[in-house]
Parts: sequence; C-alpha cells; structure tokens
Amino acid sequence: MSGGSFEYDGRSVEFEAGDSVLIALQRADIHPTGGGTLCFGGDCANCVCTADGVSYVRACQTEAATVTDVTPHPAGGAPPLPPLDDHADPTQVEYLTTDVVVIGGGTSGTAAGAAAEAAGRRVLLFDAGEGAEVLGVYPGPMVVVRTPTGMVHVECERIVVATGAAEIQPVVPGSELTGLYTRHAADVLSRAGIDLGATAAVTADELGQFEGDADGRVAAVARPDGSRIECDSVIVDLGRTPRDALARMAGPGEATVVGQAASVEPTIPTCPSSGVICPCSNVTVGQLDDLYERGFTHMELLKRGSLAGTGTCQGGVCTPYLKSFLADRGGELQPAFTARPLARQVTLGEMAAGSHLPAAARTALDAVHRRLGAQMERIGGWWRPWTYGDTDAEYRAVRERVSIGDVSTLGKMIVTGRDAEAALQRLYPTDVSTIKPGRSRYVLLLDERGFVFDDGLIAREHDDTFFLTFTSGGASMAEMWIRDWTASWANDIRILNRTWSMGAINVTGPLARNLLADVGLIDPPSFMGHTVATVAGVECKVFRLGFTGELSFELHHDADHSEQLWQALTESGATYDLAPHGIDALFRLRLEKGHILVGQDTDYDSTPHRIQHGWAVNLKKPHDFIGRHAVERTAKIPVNRKLVGFEADQPFAFEGATAWRGDDYAGYLTSVAWSSALDKAVALGWLERLGDDFPDTVTVEGVEARVVAPNFYDPEGTRARG
Amino acid sequence: MAEQMEQLRDVSRVVSTPEALAATEFPDDLLVLPLAPDERLVVGTTPFVVPDPHAIVVGDAGWSARWFDAADANAMLDSHCPWDPPRERPSFAQGMVAGLPVKLWQAEERTLVIVPHVFAVEFEERVRP
Repeated sequence: MSGGSFEYDGRSVEFEAGDSVLIALQRADIHPTGGGTLCFGGDCANCVCTADGVSYVRACQTEAATVTDVTPHPAGGAPPLPPLDDHADPTQVEYLTTDVVVIGGGTSGTAAGAAAEAAGRRVLLFDAGEGAEVLGVYPGPMVVVRTPTGMVHVECERIVVATGAAEIQPVVPGSELTGLYTRHAADVLSRAGIDLGATAAVTADELGQFEGDADGRVAAVARPDGSRIECDSVIVDLGRTPRDALARMAGPGEATVVGQAASVEPTIPTCPSSGVICPCSNVTVGQLDDLYERGFTHMELLKRGSLAGTGTCQGGVCTPYLKSFLADRGGELQPAFTARPLARQVTLGEMAAGSHLPAAARTALDAVHRRLGAQMERIGGWWRPWTYGDTDAEYRAVRERVSIGDVSTLGKMIVTGRDAEAALQRLYPTDVSTIKPGRSRYVLLLDERGFVFDDGLIAREHDDTFFLTFTSGGASMAEMWIRDWTASWANDIRILNRTWSMGAINVTGPLARNLLADVGLIDPPSFMGHTVATVAGVECKVFRLGFTGELSFELHHDADHSEQLWQALTESGATYDLAPHGIDALFRLRLEKGHILVGQDTDYDSTPHRIQHGWAVNLKKPHDFIGRHAVERTAKIPVNRKLVGFEADQPFAFEGATAWRGDDYAGYLTSVAWSSALDKAVALGWLERLGDDFPDTVTVEGVEARVVAPNFYDPEGTRARG
Repeated sequence: MAEQMEQLRDVSRVVSTPEALAATEFPDDLLVLPLAPDERLVVGTTPFVVPDPHAIVVGDAGWSARWFDAADANAMLDSHCPWDPPRERPSFAQGMVAGLPVKLWQAEERTLVIVPHVFAVEFEERVRP
C-alpha cells in the first residue's frame, strides 16, 4: 500500500503509510550516508540527510509523509547552507510550566507520568516517536522540545528521563560498509517487511572485521578465530548503554532516570586497536593514543583534545569506546563527559524561536515622519527621521529661516526632594548650587575613572526640583547610574524618568522667535533659560538652547500632544517657508558648531581634558563628585591625544578615516561634513601628539587638513544667543 | 474591548517614598498599579493626596493598552511570555513579553496589557497571530 513518494537525490522514492524516511530509503536499497551501521534509534549519525532544506535530519526519526525532497548528507564535510529566505515564517514557540516533565513515552515513561499524576502533579510527557523531540535541558530546569508545530519551552520542577538504552555500534575494520544493522534496526526492518537477505548475527566475541564487495556492501564477517560467514547483511549485537545524556544535562537532584536508561548495565566494549572511534569527528584510535601520551588522560580532556563526542551524534556512538580506551590505558573506568544542550541539531529559526531583536522605540511623531516620507533609521535605540528627502534644503531651513525637528528621543528625568541638589552635586562635575531656578546648564556625566559617558542638561525648576536631559542613546544607562548611586547614598529624593512619556520639538533658525510668537509664546526664555508656557494650546517646558548653532527652543510636552504641536508649528511655519529637518541635517549643523556626540566623537577613555571640555568640570567646587579624583590625577599628565577640529578645502572621505603626518599616524576623524555655510569641509577627530607637539596639519585620504578649534560656525555664538 | 493598542488616557505617575505611598488613600475607582516600591501608575481621574511634600504626581501619556479576554490573554502569553505570570485574578505583574517591557493587570475576567507607547506598534506586530 503506497503512502506516497518523495524526491531523493533526483529520483522518486515511494514509501508506505507509516514509514520513516529511512525505512523508505531502505526499501529502495539506499543508505543515506553511504555506509555505517544503522541503528534506527536516533543514536548515531549514519542516517542523517537533508530533508526539505533542513540538514542533519535523522532519517530514522522522520516520518516519510512529512517530507518532499531529501538529499544525501555529503560524504565529507558539512552540507551547504540553505539559501537565505527573508520571508520565512518565524518558528513558533510555546512557553509552558508544569511540575514534572517525562522524557520518553515507553512503558517506563508512561508509568512514571501516571504515577506523578496520581500524586497530584501536573505532568507533560514528550516522546520523540510521537514527534516531540527533547533537544536539551537547561538550568531551571527548563526543557526545550522540538515539535511538528514549533518549539516548546517548559519550566518544571522535576524531570523523569525514560529514554531507554542505545545499542553499541561496531568499531572494527569495515564498519563503514552498508548492510550493517543493530538488533533493534533489524527488528524494525523486519516489521516493515524488508528482506535483509542472508544475514549474519554476531556478538562482540564473534566480530573480527567486516569484509565488503566492490560496491561497498558487506559480504562477510571475519571472526577472530579466522573463520568467515558470508552474508548479505550483518546484525550486530554488541550490548547496550544507557541513553542518559538528557539526564546528565540536568542539575543535581533535578532528574530521575527510570526504565532501561537506569537499569541497563552499560556495556564497555573491547578497546579497538585501530579504526575510527568517533565517526562524526573522524577520530581514530591512533589520534587518541597520541593525545593520551601528551597528558589528555581524562574523558573531558580527551573530548576537548580530539573533538570526539562533539559531533552530530554528541557521543552516542563513541562514548562507550572512549571509556573503553581510557580504562584500557589507565586501568580505571571514567564517567561519561559532561552533557550540554543541544542533544540534536537545530535550525537557526528553532534556535531563535521566541527571541527578538531589541526594539527601536517610536516617538509620538513617528507616524507623522512616515507620512511626510521621511527615511527612517534606527539611531540610539529609536526610529528617527534621517532625512525628509532633501538634507540640503533642511539644513538651509535651519540656517536661513526656521525649522522643526523631533527631539523626543532625548532622555528626560525629574529629580526632586530635600537632597536633590546634594545628589546632583555628587553626580555631576559642575557646581549645581550656582544653577538658579529658571536656568539650565550643559553638563557631562563622568564615571569613576573620570571618563565621559554621557552629556546633557541640568535645568533647575525650583530649589528642590530639577529636570535633567541625556543623550538619546544614553538615557537608560544614565537612569541606572543615577538610581544606583543615589540609592547607595540614601538620598531623600524622588526620581522619575519621563523619556517615553514626553515629546520634544526643537524650533530652530533665525526666525524661530517669530514662529513661536505666532503660536502664542510671547515671552520666550533667554539663552540657557527655561520656562513653562502654553504653545499652540499645549503646555510646554520651553528650553532655550543652541545645539544647531542657531536660535533654538526645545518644547518639551506630554507626548499625547506631540502631533497637535507639530501640526500647529507646521501650519504657522508656512509663513516662513518652514521645513522639518532630519538627523542628517542636524548632525551637520551641530558639527559646524563643534558640538560633540558622546559615543561617536568620544571613546571609552575620553576624559574632559582630552575632548577639550575641561571647562565643564569645576574642580573648585567644594564637593566630591564621581570621577573627581581621576580627573585631578589625569589633569597632571600631559595630554597625548585630544579631540580637535579639522578643516579642508575638499570633502573628507568618511568618518573613521585615518589622519597622517608624513608617515606617522596622527589620529582619525569621528564626524565629517561639507559645510555649505562655510564652503569647506569640517570634521571632528582625534589628534595624536607627535614628539613634543601636536601637528597643525595632517593628511586624510589624500586631503590636506588644517587642525583648528572645533567651533567652526559662528564661534562667538551670537546667532544662538541673539 | 479594543482590538488593538490604544493610548491609555487619564493616567498619573506617582513617585514618593514607600511609606507615603502606603499611607495614600487612593479612591476605589482608581486602578493603582505598583510599578516599584516608590512608584505607582494610577489610571483614573479621581483626585488623591500623597502625604509627601516632594511627591512627584504627573500626568503620564506614555502608555498604550489593550484589554484581552482571559482566554485570549493566556493564549498570547503562552506564545510570547517566557516567564510564568500569575494566573490568579486579580493580580498585577510586569516583565518582558515578546521581548518588550509589559505590565499585566489581570482583572477578574480579562487582562489589561499595558505597553510603553513607544513600543506599541512593535508589540502589535510581534503578538499578531
């Protein structure tokens, strides 16, 4: 009764209902790997194939009716990687919790599960024969299972391992022939009605070697006494060993082994004098001998030295022989090596099931940017508009008229309480006591080693209340940093991170004040001041800043009003030919102004002095602060490299380009742009001390560059402060 | 019942000392979720007073939410929640679901799934059947 057919290496192979792929191949007299004993128990790698694009599939444990295209595993090496499929459905995962997981659905496993249920425990039973293949046991314990519908991750209290026993495979000359079967395999094939021809059944004592014919098929068994048995097939019965790898993956006391996996007395085969002990990694007795002589005398060492046991079958075939080898050489029977997940090969999809890439957050204006046709990019953990299509026009809108930009991604935090000022004095290297209510200050955050890890703003709202900002990418780290430190100091303060709940729009350009007046902000704050005001009907914290180098106001507001505010500014801004600007334009604008981007222009060992921000560190303030001692110490050491400005008459090649002074390495560029306003290339970058001095000119990818102060545009700051 | 995430309205964020929060008499018609020992998320408009002069009490527009039937919530969590949320009701739990920070208010017969608004679109995409 035909159950159907599948393609095998370009030919059609018919199968009967209920056949595994291996049984179907055997009906067609095909050995999927070209030779080696077949066990039909999933313990070896002698029947692995590629089924429907998935490699290392065990043909003996795969239902024929579930595959359409099977290709043989290559005789040497690994199968080719499958073509990339961008549209593949993700592998589903189900998370379950139970009291007891039973692995193995035979008599012992079923009985153990029934007993646990009778005791009132919740039980889940997984049986590879039913398609639920346990791949590994992780700390917890957590059991990972592959099923026909996806992966299952089960957290449980106890594991019962009822996986039976594996049959010992032969390691003698001729083991690579076809026509070799374990006892269990022969029974399976017999039940399937497959005639093995004239068979020779041999035990360990009767096995000398296999002899083959010209086609690589066994033709005879040679006994140790020199006699021969001619045959078409050989059934080897060399003993059994507990199939307990999954139990050995579990932590102490987590797993109980029952049935044959517990009761079978492990067979330790006679140590072979030659031949391949580990077919997966092609490890020979001679190689093991060499390692043993070099001191690899323990199971774990021998495994690491030879890679035996690390291949496809994970030691299913070779472990008894490795034990035998070490017992023969050292006189002591050693336990099996540590078992670790995974017990079976998995696809990348199965491995990644339930995993997610870190999500990029979306500001409340995300849909607006997309409607405007912005090219959205992931920057600093957020989706941000890189450009609305014409970066030059966006840039000019800021420099010449007025523009708006979404800066909702800035970290925002309220710190209030009796000890708020004291806490900030210890966190920041500026003298917070001199920031008056209504004023704000640019600040660095230093770690204990005095290195800059973030920057932002401190705005004082009241005596005991501050509003802090951080970089978009550094807000989470800064929050953890502040919470950890203030908790350890037992400060009487309250902290609330408002990054995700507040939007912020930067209104910038020489006509910014005009636009804001049109939408209701009549009395904007002075430079570095801030106030609370209603703008276009939306209550805003208004900050006067200058990141772009132009007159700039940041409007921080509840995020549910972002679209309303953006829309009002856009409509009123039409009078001034307003255009929104994206990050590409913003980065160019700030670079012209010489404003650093922490993380892009700084490194992990950037001190305030190296980035020429010593002015942001107040060593005269009578308070200790994080990084103070390091800054004081490093300030005594001559700076051997520093962040500087570069300018050139031709464009710089790229960010990261190396700077040279003759044949000497002189640094590299961290930010580059062509300045339309200045009609020259500008860059920030690191400059090395060469000899006694820093060079005043360098060559970058063939472009001659001058070393200059980094505030290229409006160095007096009259435009931003005006 | 919303079929997709909607911005959660009438939400307050309260930060104060654990002692002051414990002493606060929140009206019964408010849903008060303990995000941290010093922090509450309050859904509703009825006024309340926190006995702490430095308490932060601000409106918070940073959340999206969606009600699920209990059965639908359990099915969604089985597929996307790698930890075991409490099954008793009412209860509150928070942790990663579908790789995103989520808060679960398990009411008597349904579950309110609360996600930071900045991840609402991502959450919908990830849990979509």
